[in-house]
Amino acid sequence: MTWVPAQDVMVPALLAALAVTDGAFAGFRAAAGRNARIRRRAYTVTAAGRGAAVALVDLAATAAVSLADLGRRYPALLAAGARMLAVLAPFAVLVVLSLGAYLLLPTREGALVVVVGLGPFTLVRPIVVTGAVAAACLGSRDPVIWAAAVTAAVGVLTVEPLVHRRWYREPC
Amino acid sequence: MPVLEISDLIGAWDPATGARLPVGKDEVVARLRAAGDRRAVRIVERMPASGGFLDPEAVDRLFVRVHTELQRLGEEMRMAQRFAELLRPLVAAARRAGFGPLRIVDVGCGIGPVTRSLAASGTLGGDIELIGADLNPVLVAEATRLAEDEGLTCRFVRRDALALDEPATFYISSGVLHHLPAASLPGFFHAQDRPGTAGFVHYDIAATRLAPLGAWVFHRARMREPLGRHDGVASARRAHGDAVLLDAASSAEGMRVFLFTPPRHANPCCATMRPVIGVRPELAEGLRRGLGRRARGLTGAGGARGGGGGAPGGPGVIRGGVGGVGEGTGGGRGGGDVREGPGCVRRGAGGVREETGG
Repeated sequence: MTWVPAQDVMVPALLAALAVTDGAFAGFRAAAGRNARIRRRAYTVTAAGRGAAVALVDLAATAAVSLADLGRRYPALLAAGARMLAVLAPFAVLVVLSLGAYLLLPTREGALVVVVGLGPFTLVRPIVVTGAVAAACLGSRDPVIWAAAVTAAVGVLTVEPLVHRRWYREPC
Repeated sequence: MPVLEISDLIGAWDPATGARLPVGKDEVVARLRAAGDRRAVRIVERMPASGGFLDPEAVDRLFVRVHTELQRLGEEMRMAQRFAELLRPLVAAARRAGFGPLRIVDVGCGIGPVTRSLAASGTLGGDIELIGADLNPVLVAEATRLAEDEGLTCRFVRRDALALDEPATFYISSGVLHHLPAASLPGFFHAQDRPGTAGFVHYDIAATRLAPLGAWVFHRARMREPLGRHDGVASARRAHGDAVLLDAASSAEGMRVFLFTPPRHANPCCATMRPVIGVRPELAEGLRRGLGRRARGLTGAGGARGGGGGAPGGPGVIRGGVGGVGEGTGGGRGGGDVREGPGCVRRGAGGVREETGG
């Protein structure tokens, strides 16, 4: 039995997990502000699921782009993925910490976290994703790696508008 | 130059019948242009119109979309919990003092997120009647639909909240005060000093120097509608300062008035919400006791004033969509130095009614 080195799996697995989790949040945002009912847990879960599903499709597209000569290119793809993670992971940690603070802190302090944390983070998210693509591309001259990085970024950034237009254009 | 909110300008209804009145697109654009607000001009110019008038159905849909997004903002700011935090001790004190039947009226309720949330949580007890009032019939209809859909025990009326036949035990509002000109605030608060009314809790944007920037970030991140994004920032620019609100609230002469803004939690950087509170003197201690340590956040005049009341204003034509405040019902303080009578029309992204003449 041949073991795959952990680092060979860790980077793509972490990126995929980040993309799907981000997709779930994107689905939530796509549906937010379109259902004014007070009790809407099922609505929110469905929206997050739709976002995650669209993110999975985007991941498949990224994988398809990366498939060309995968054996020879894999180390370079891993390196590019690690550079992306170096940009995305600190941002993800900040978002998770802010979300935790929002959920756990008392009313007023939690609301403050939204204003100074979660709200601005939503605004800078496209910049962070673009930075991750730049980091991935700058360390490589391989156009396939560039294409994979750009495909992944476009996928991540289009989940929310796609889900919104498909399912949540008008209030329900 | 005046700071205008688009939603104040694009809807108009007859206050007596609730019938929609046509709104000229060019007239709205001209007002916004005169105010030097080119972005607002562009937003209105893109709105559908027919025969020179804004398409009423498109305006209605826009109001509902914007208010649904506003509810999301309010939920993130935990507005219902904030109201409950203050109303629980206030209602308990009012019960002990023998006020009744207990009724909370949400002034300019929009689609009623706070009222419906209070009804859904049941946090104030089953003996409380929850009523949302707004001058915009579209928003009232939407609030009613949503409440019925979830089987909530609250109701919504297209009325001037301060002119309801039965007074509220407590009047509440969220994001309405900045729709009122400073000169109209005393009349607004004075009108709530009715027999049978125990107090009021009105949340609005805290007017800090950087509030418009905070509002821009928050609305940009959370709202899709350009109108909502625009009006959110305009709201922060129009917000009244603490001193203005406290002074105006003291026009409710039988009440003790406070702001509830713990200084250690004050946020100088961004737009946030803080309430102006009025309570009958006999309930003030109950409020303090109920709030416990948080009562340290009560600041302000805290004293009830004596004096006479003012004259009510007369009917006019209502404009607007978001809120639903009747300015004309207040009258002046100490004998009526502010008077608004029947006359021309105007305003109300809050369904705020502004009357002139008289």
